[in-house]
Amino acid sequence: MKKKPLSSSQVGTLKKIKKMLSKSKGKVLDDNLLGSLEEMCEDLGSQLKKREVGAGNLSVKNEENEESKILEEQIQEEREIFDNVIDVMGAGLCLIDKNSKIIWANDTLKEWLNLNESPVGDHCSDIYHCDVVGTDKCPAELVLKGKEGHMIQSWVTTKAKKRMCIQHIAIPITNKNSETDNILLLTVDVTENEKMVHRLLLLQQFGEITQGTLHLDKLLHLILTCITADYSFGFNRATLFLINKELNVLNGKLAIGPSSSEEATRILKEMSGSHNSLIDIVDKLDYSHNIDTPLNTMTKLLVYSLADAKEVVTLCTKEKKPIIVKDAAKDTRVTDEFRKALGVNEFVCVPLIAKSEPIGVIVADNVYTAEPISDERVNTLTMFVSQASLAIENAETYKRLEDKINQLTETQQRLIRSEKLAAIGSMSSYVAHEIRNPLVTIGGFAKTLSRFTFTDAKIKVNIDIIIEEVKRLEKILNNITDFGKPSKPEKIDAQICEIMENTCLLMDNYFQEKHITLQKKYETGMPEVPVDPTQIKQVFLNILMNAVESMPDGGKLDVNIESVDESIRIYIIDTGKGIQQGVLQNIYDPFFTTKPSGTGVGLSVSLKIIEDHGGTIDAISEQEKGTTMLLTLPIK
Amino acid sequence: MTTVLVVEDDKNQRLLYEQELKLEGYEVVTASDGKEALEKAQEQLPNIIIMDINIPKMDGIETMGKILSRNKEIPIIINTAYSNYKDNFMSWAADAYIVKSSDLSELKNTVKEVLAKRAEDS
Repeated sequence: MKKKPLSSSQVGTLKKIKKMLSKSKGKVLDDNLLGSLEEMCEDLGSQLKKREVGAGNLSVKNEENEESKILEEQIQEEREIFDNVIDVMGAGLCLIDKNSKIIWANDTLKEWLNLNESPVGDHCSDIYHCDVVGTDKCPAELVLKGKEGHMIQSWVTTKAKKRMCIQHIAIPITNKNSETDNILLLTVDVTENEKMVHRLLLLQQFGEITQGTLHLDKLLHLILTCITADYSFGFNRATLFLINKELNVLNGKLAIGPSSSEEATRILKEMSGSHNSLIDIVDKLDYSHNIDTPLNTMTKLLVYSLADAKEVVTLCTKEKKPIIVKDAAKDTRVTDEFRKALGVNEFVCVPLIAKSEPIGVIVADNVYTAEPISDERVNTLTMFVSQASLAIENAETYKRLEDKINQLTETQQRLIRSEKLAAIGSMSSYVAHEIRNPLVTIGGFAKTLSRFTFTDAKIKVNIDIIIEEVKRLEKILNNITDFGKPSKPEKIDAQICEIMENTCLLMDNYFQEKHITLQKKYETGMPEVPVDPTQIKQVFLNILMNAVESMPDGGKLDVNIESVDESIRIYIIDTGKGIQQGVLQNIYDPFFTTKPSGTGVGLSVSLKIIEDHGGTIDAISEQEKGTTMLLTLPIK
Repeated sequence: MTTVLVVEDDKNQRLLYEQELKLEGYEVVTASDGKEALEKAQEQLPNIIIMDINIPKMDGIETMGKILSRNKEIPIIINTAYSNYKDNFMSWAADAYIVKSSDLSELKNTVKEVLAKRAEDS
């Protein structure tokens, strides 16, 4: 800036700036900044007054050259102070003339706009890179017409490589003839405001999204992603703990954030500038890549008893308010174990509270950028977390409901099945016995007859047919009466592999005849289980028989037995025709059969036996590929 | 001559057993209900009784109880269409329990075995 002698017109200009500043109140987002600007103007005014007095004195003592020199030096000094003030006041200033040529700009602006050379003489659009030049939206044009001139905020990267959101305001400066000859462009840093707006927007979007119900896992990811997303809360890492009421412990559930500072820099680079909306995040949410991070694995191992609130996280749920830890090493609320697990000295714990009951804690920190955690940020985080708590509570309730419904459906299906069996049992045993008597007579007499010698060979053949058919009917009856039998399994401790081995031995000839290659794989050293060997043998026989019958042209049959946790698993895998879709759900129904000569009771009897033993049967089938029958039996 | 008392309410089945057992060389006496069975058991003193359970007037198990209370030496084979009476402890008093079948060989063999066992014991 050219140093002009002090004049009364400058005082007037200053007054106008003050007036404009007070007019700008409310237009700029940061009132504090405006306030400090006003203060500075106030200062400047009083300084000018002092100088006026000084100047008056100067005229009186015009002849005293020495003194005037000293005075000049004083003015010089004050001018430097004035320049310094302008530079440190935290706002960019730029003076342009009516033709938008830059007359002067302060260092702050050069720093923010990353200008290496003095912009004096350039067109203002060269440094502001705005696209409203020459239009009626140009703030400079607007103020020239006596209107208010604002420019919407924009993101810039400063010389110090900092992302910053700035806003420009044009202020007209009038000369003594009340004509606007210059325009002051005030540039303010609205990064924090912008971030705040983003956070509020995020809160709103989060509220909208969580009005629908999300899957719990997805929701937890979403919450932590919101906390760690650069443009929202911007924490480096977030860790979530949930309370397990049954065990009365706080359990580490999920952690999101880079596992190393290299990863952190990479992610920050990727994220900077991208302003995805929350809906985008939900859509793109990929929780597979986060699952196996060392951080997440470690988090899942963290368990703290709620009985003794010694740990800062448990304390946080007890007190139901956020705890900011500034120096974990010196903080008595933080144990060494927790500090080492987290590996950071400054962090914040925010309780998750739903319906005034604590349900967990979120721990957030800035381990990589080491940015201090401000109270303001904790406040918005708390707001967000309280909303998140409700969403979690909802998701959990929904999940419980879903589980209950699934359980109910399953129970209902079982009930229907057992009721079916019971009805079949009572009805069929009556019918079976009524039929058995005449059958015995028919078959018996047919047998008697068959012992005679006949002249016509046809008679003998026909009698034999009667005998065979009666035998078949009797076989069906035997199967049916098995339902009626109140057969409680007589359990003894037995080796399942042995029972299977015996069954296979029994069927050995049959396998050979049907060209079945049998492959057995038994886990060694399996425990004995309490079963009724005869009944289990019948089950194996039924299922092996089905398997063989599904392979009329022969094939491979695998029998694998292994122990998993508290149960024994028996896999019978054939390479046969498979079970048709739509048939699969009926295979356990009594009298359901797809075989021309089947009775349709084999699998339902098998199911009943296995269920009496506290086990399960599952069929997995692929058409033309084969069927896998999986039986489980409890070890205890 | 060994006498077999067949207790069976079904007329045709009775005839079947009579014919078949006669072929085996036994003397066959028949009864169609519980009461008749009780009378025949006393009058004819059969060597063995084949007893159906579902019979009129008095069921097979009760009849068996009454016969055995008077003469516990007489062997009884239960021959029924029902397999579930097997678990009824009353039927344990019988020497054998057979589920009816058109194949009479099981019945015939059991008669032979029970008689042979009795002969051995006495």
